[in-house]
Amino acid sequence: MWEKKPILLIVLATCAILVGTIVTVVLPFAWVNTEADRIEGVTPYTALQQEGRDVYIREGCNNCHSQTVRPLVSDVLRYGEYSKSGEFVYDRPFLWGSKRTGPDLARLGGKYPDAWHYKHMDSPRSMVPKTNMPDYKWLRDYPLDPQMIQRKMETLGFPYTAEEIKALKGKNDMDAIVAYMQKLGSDIPWREATETAIVGELVNPYTDTDQATISSWGSIFMENCAACHGARMEGEIGPELIGEDYDDEILFELIYSGITDGGMPSFSSLGTDKVWKLTNFIRNYKAGGDQ
Amino acid sequence: MDLASFVYLGVTFGLFVIFALIVIRTYNKKNKDKGEVAKYNMLDDD
Amino acid sequence: MEKQNYNYAIVRSFVVWSMIWGLVAVLVGVIVSFQMVEPGLNFPPYLTFGRLRPIHTNAGIYGWAVGVIFATFLYIVQRLCKTPLWSDKLAKFQLYFFNATIIASAVTLLLGYTTSKEYHEMEWPIDVMIIILWVVFGLNIIMTILKRKDEQMYISLWYMMAAIIGVAILFVVNSAAMPVSLFKSYSAYAGTNDANVEWWFGHNAVAMALTAPPLAMFYYFLPKSTGVPIYSHRLSIIAFWSLIFMYLWTGAHHLLWTPIPDWIQTLAMGFSVMLIAPSWGSVFNGYLSMNGQWHQMRENYLVKFLILGITFYGLQTLQGPMQAIRTFSAFIHYTDWVPAHIHMGTMGWVSMICFASIYFMVPRIWNREIYSIPLANLQFWLILVGQLIWSISLWVAGVLQAGMWNAMNSDGSLTYTFMETMVEMYPYWWARAFGGIIYLFGLVVFIYNLYMTVKKGEPTAVTTATAEGRV
Repeated sequence: MWEKKPILLIVLATCAILVGTIVTVVLPFAWVNTEADRIEGVTPYTALQQEGRDVYIREGCNNCHSQTVRPLVSDVLRYGEYSKSGEFVYDRPFLWGSKRTGPDLARLGGKYPDAWHYKHMDSPRSMVPKTNMPDYKWLRDYPLDPQMIQRKMETLGFPYTAEEIKALKGKNDMDAIVAYMQKLGSDIPWREATETAIVGELVNPYTDTDQATISSWGSIFMENCAACHGARMEGEIGPELIGEDYDDEILFELIYSGITDGGMPSFSSLGTDKVWKLTNFIRNYKAGGDQ
Repeated sequence: MDLASFVYLGVTFGLFVIFALIVIRTYNKKNKDKGEVAKYNMLDDD
Repeated sequence: MEKQNYNYAIVRSFVVWSMIWGLVAVLVGVIVSFQMVEPGLNFPPYLTFGRLRPIHTNAGIYGWAVGVIFATFLYIVQRLCKTPLWSDKLAKFQLYFFNATIIASAVTLLLGYTTSKEYHEMEWPIDVMIIILWVVFGLNIIMTILKRKDEQMYISLWYMMAAIIGVAILFVVNSAAMPVSLFKSYSAYAGTNDANVEWWFGHNAVAMALTAPPLAMFYYFLPKSTGVPIYSHRLSIIAFWSLIFMYLWTGAHHLLWTPIPDWIQTLAMGFSVMLIAPSWGSVFNGYLSMNGQWHQMRENYLVKFLILGITFYGLQTLQGPMQAIRTFSAFIHYTDWVPAHIHMGTMGWVSMICFASIYFMVPRIWNREIYSIPLANLQFWLILVGQLIWSISLWVAGVLQAGMWNAMNSDGSLTYTFMETMVEMYPYWWARAFGGIIYLFGLVVFIYNLYMTVKKGEPTAVTTATAEGRV
């Protein structure tokens, strides 16, 4: 039969290939991205954000960064609320990625202030000393092309205004990619929803600890705080910390929960112990001290 | 059991039958020599 | 039979060009492996990791693997069908168009024209070129099969036809896009659908371009190298239908725990495990063919490449299904484990078979004995050791990083920040780069050996022995 008839073999092989294809790839179109998984608040990209997304694609950021948080404890603790199908309806192409050489970016939007992103894209190593991410300072040298971006918005069918397009003039690839970063995963109010409530009374466990031990916790500060508040707490993207006079409990809460609308990320993922150590380190730090 | 379950079972069973038929046909005793002709033929194409 | 007017010139050209693109693929691979450990080696805008990595993968798949597929299929189809090619002109066009496509791909990817879809990064005009190329190639192969001399088709021809059809369907569906300009387009599918289509493509490109064709080569070149027929033609028939049927269900195992509907993930997981059967059907068919011939592992370097290749195929098709299981995927996905898996397949299985196929064909298409068998043996050990260092170091790295990502304190918080886990990777990334250099060296030995064969090799003795690959 088919061993002797090539055309029959090709037809049968095509059928064999198509069964799995139809069930797992064609059928899902019937309910994925339909009203069923639409989420209120998820909006198309603005002209600037969409251009930033295209810069992200052009530079192959997806080779090292994923954009889906899985419903797994370690993923959710590290990155935030797990990703939902309805959040991606405007993504052409999808950018979920397959490798996390760098961290997942699905919930990056709103985590840091713009200034953090500009500084980080200019020179990642200036903020995260041991990272292997290359510098992208040169993105600033490439001005946007408003006409082209308008055509892109037309093709995608995304709403835009003439002022929005006009405002692109004078902006560059760096502005665009930062705008895109700030949009990522922020269409649903997950940050407010998952704010950690601290239950019970807060007691500083390190009130009797000696100065030398507290100083040794400087490495935690350097790794997590120095990029924004300066290695000597002189302040840069974030405010100066020398001379702040919060109570221990309040300082702990600020670090643990962050200031959602103030650009200060939550550091609950460090765990209570490290946050207490940071609290004590910051409280005990003296300007020009023994760092 | 609803309709979907019957369809599911029917399709699965149907696939199994197709597989069984291919095995039976391929390993049919009558085909024993015929089924292996090609592997000898391919050796003398030089 | 030698009097047949077989077109070997085209096979020679594809052998040469596939090796050139293979060298490019490995060379770029080594470069990006150093960029991973030293970000200062990124030279923007063109020579950054983000732009070079797709050149590495696509040169490997479309330049090296597809180049060898073209060479071997055009050779095998003439031999098995005992008839010359259907169209020499079309084959000639295919050669020029192939190189034009690969060059256009490399240049546009460097310029940043990319769709971002893995293993399908090239923008739409190049997709069109690839489709034309594949149709021209497929037509020539199928028309040649139609005018064959032997009525019953040997199993290699089955895999070849399935590969031609399979790649065509996958590539066309995944190419669908809305062009904005000549070098920018947006996917025709959005979000979750786009992901589902892309990984249906991605995984089955592995099936139809990097499994079926090397199996076609293996089924042909193993018996030709040993002089003993394949163990069972009928077993290969069962394996064939099961393989091409089941593969297409498994794409979503790349998307476990993502927003893809759960039932698709579950199907993908189930079918991935079932795929062990047809994969190992071919592995066993290879091993059992060696019954009473195992001494050839010592005497015949071709057999060494082929049997090691099929062994890596066996390991690959056990490890793959393991990774496709939800719990295991939750642990190792997104870590360096995954590239280690892929590279066992590409450097171990696919390339081993490609090397053997080229070593087998060269004396027959150039009429020159291989220049140096000791060099072939040296190459064998270099690529084997290089690949093992590559994969083992990153398997260890993957398990280590996965463990650190999941480690938790007693208060339910994470033990490590992302950066604390990343800095632990550096020693393994260095080891990987080192493994890559050894592999690259092996490839250089291979190319040198073949260059010298063509330049200085002894003319082949007139022989009709089927076991002439023996040493």
